[in-house]
Amino acid sequence: MTLSESAITIRDLVKRYDRIEAVRGISLDVRRGEVFGFLGPNGAGKTTTIRCLLGLLRPTSGAIHALDMDAAREGVNLRRRVAYVPGELRLPERLRAGDFIDSIGRLRGGFDGRRRDELARRLDLDVGRRLRDLSTGNRRKVALLIAFLSEADLLILDEPTNGLDPLMQHVFLELVAEARAAGSTVFLSSHVLAEVQRAADRVAVLRDGRVVAEGTVADLRARARQKVEVWFEGHVPSGDLAALPGLSGAITDGRRFTATLTGSVEPLLQVLARHRIASLLVEEPDLDEAFLGLYEAAA
Amino acid sequence: MIRVAGELMGTPLRALRRSTAWWAVALGVIVLVTVAFWPAFRGASGISEAIEQMPAGVVQAFGLEDFGTPAGFLRGNLYELLVPLLLIGAGVAFVNSQTASDETAGRLELVLAQPVSHRAVYLGRAAAALIGLTILVVVIVAVQFAADAVFDLAIDGSRLAATIALCGLLAALHAAAGYSIAGARARPALVLGIGIGGAIAGYVVAALFPLSDALEPWSHLSPWDWAFGHNPLAHTTDAWRYVVLAAPAAALIGLGTWLVGRRDVSAA
Repeated sequence: MTLSESAITIRDLVKRYDRIEAVRGISLDVRRGEVFGFLGPNGAGKTTTIRCLLGLLRPTSGAIHALDMDAAREGVNLRRRVAYVPGELRLPERLRAGDFIDSIGRLRGGFDGRRRDELARRLDLDVGRRLRDLSTGNRRKVALLIAFLSEADLLILDEPTNGLDPLMQHVFLELVAEARAAGSTVFLSSHVLAEVQRAADRVAVLRDGRVVAEGTVADLRARARQKVEVWFEGHVPSGDLAALPGLSGAITDGRRFTATLTGSVEPLLQVLARHRIASLLVEEPDLDEAFLGLYEAAA
Repeated sequence: MIRVAGELMGTPLRALRRSTAWWAVALGVIVLVTVAFWPAFRGASGISEAIEQMPAGVVQAFGLEDFGTPAGFLRGNLYELLVPLLLIGAGVAFVNSQTASDETAGRLELVLAQPVSHRAVYLGRAAAALIGLTILVVVIVAVQFAADAVFDLAIDGSRLAATIALCGLLAALHAAAGYSIAGARARPALVLGIGIGGAIAGYVVAALFPLSDALEPWSHLSPWDWAFGHNPLAHTTDAWRYVVLAAPAAALIGLGTWLVGRRDVSAA
């Protein structure tokens, strides 16, 4: 991928704090116009990578280019075309939300007032309230509003739905889709697999400062582990289930069957369709469980 | 460009509005109440006699010479220690709240992610802190002159203004020292410690070292001596005294601004 086709190119990024190595040689390519998911458990190095990208941290070694600019040398020009929602969001408490939004707007050359009002309405945000009086979710909306109002070429969103209710998470996904349709690239960092898989085209999975997997969401879903619990009306068809690909850790307890499934759920459904079942639960695993195999392989 | 610079200074100024107002009220009240006691002191020979009974070193250390004169009264009660120390406290607190404290709390994260240099953000905050300090100096001058007129404290206005200006410059120097620390490392405790601790150490050097023949020459290393060593309420202030306070303050602000561009931004 050439630099101009790429929205973000990271090569061999290392960030060390005293004796702690937070990022250990990350290389990534994010294409222009895609929604790229950056997944990993807390402490994996996601935020450190993002802060290096924004020039808030100085990499120990390695190179970061974004929008054809060197992040280390052209930070101000790069940030002109980047909007950012921090994961740890702290805002000046005494200001009103609207004043804070306008203040950031003045640093970016001004915001469109009509668009500001429209976004505030869609996010159900009262911009007349002081920031200290806003809930965590509403503060998050302030940062999201600023990010989407910026009409930036690259949106960097670190845990963007923290504190948002399901309705607002849906609005957020709509805004991401609109930004993408308008030609923006979205770099979406999260520790929530479900959030990323709903929005992202491609995903990189981070663990202990390293990329342990990269690919399309479908690729990674196929490699992720899911918990399966089935209650049968009659006996458990252990023989049929044992022959299924990707099923492991099977436990039969009376009419209850539990196992871990890696890959497509379709073969399992085909077997279950031949039997009478009382209930079926395919549980979304947390990230650590979902990518346990990847982490073990990386280790 | 001007709009961005105005914003980088305007937001911290708005944030400092309330604390500046409280500092101004406190300093104004202290000056007013102190001057209000002048009529009771004027001509009260007992106080001057009591001071004369004290050891010469103590009288000198606490600026109690000529306590029965307007200049001596103001020096001993306000401008030898209290007002400069309070102004230093305000200046260092302003700088700390707008730089190290905001940064370590994560409140600068979103601002520093905008298309502005980190140095410009910090410099705007230093400017806001200095403007806040200037407002306090102006309030002290206004209250002092008004109180002098009301309570009939006859004193040379230019010397009084020079003394308060020196207090402001001394505070700016310590605030700038705190700022340079914040530029190097965003550690609020360190900024406050160096800023306030340095001020107290400087006062001790200027006030107590002259009591010892061996230490006396070192007292001239203290910024307090540069500012008040000549008793500016009683004598005309030479221009160099302003320069030796303002020049290092400017240099320390330059140093802090340069350093902040060479380090990582602290995370919340």
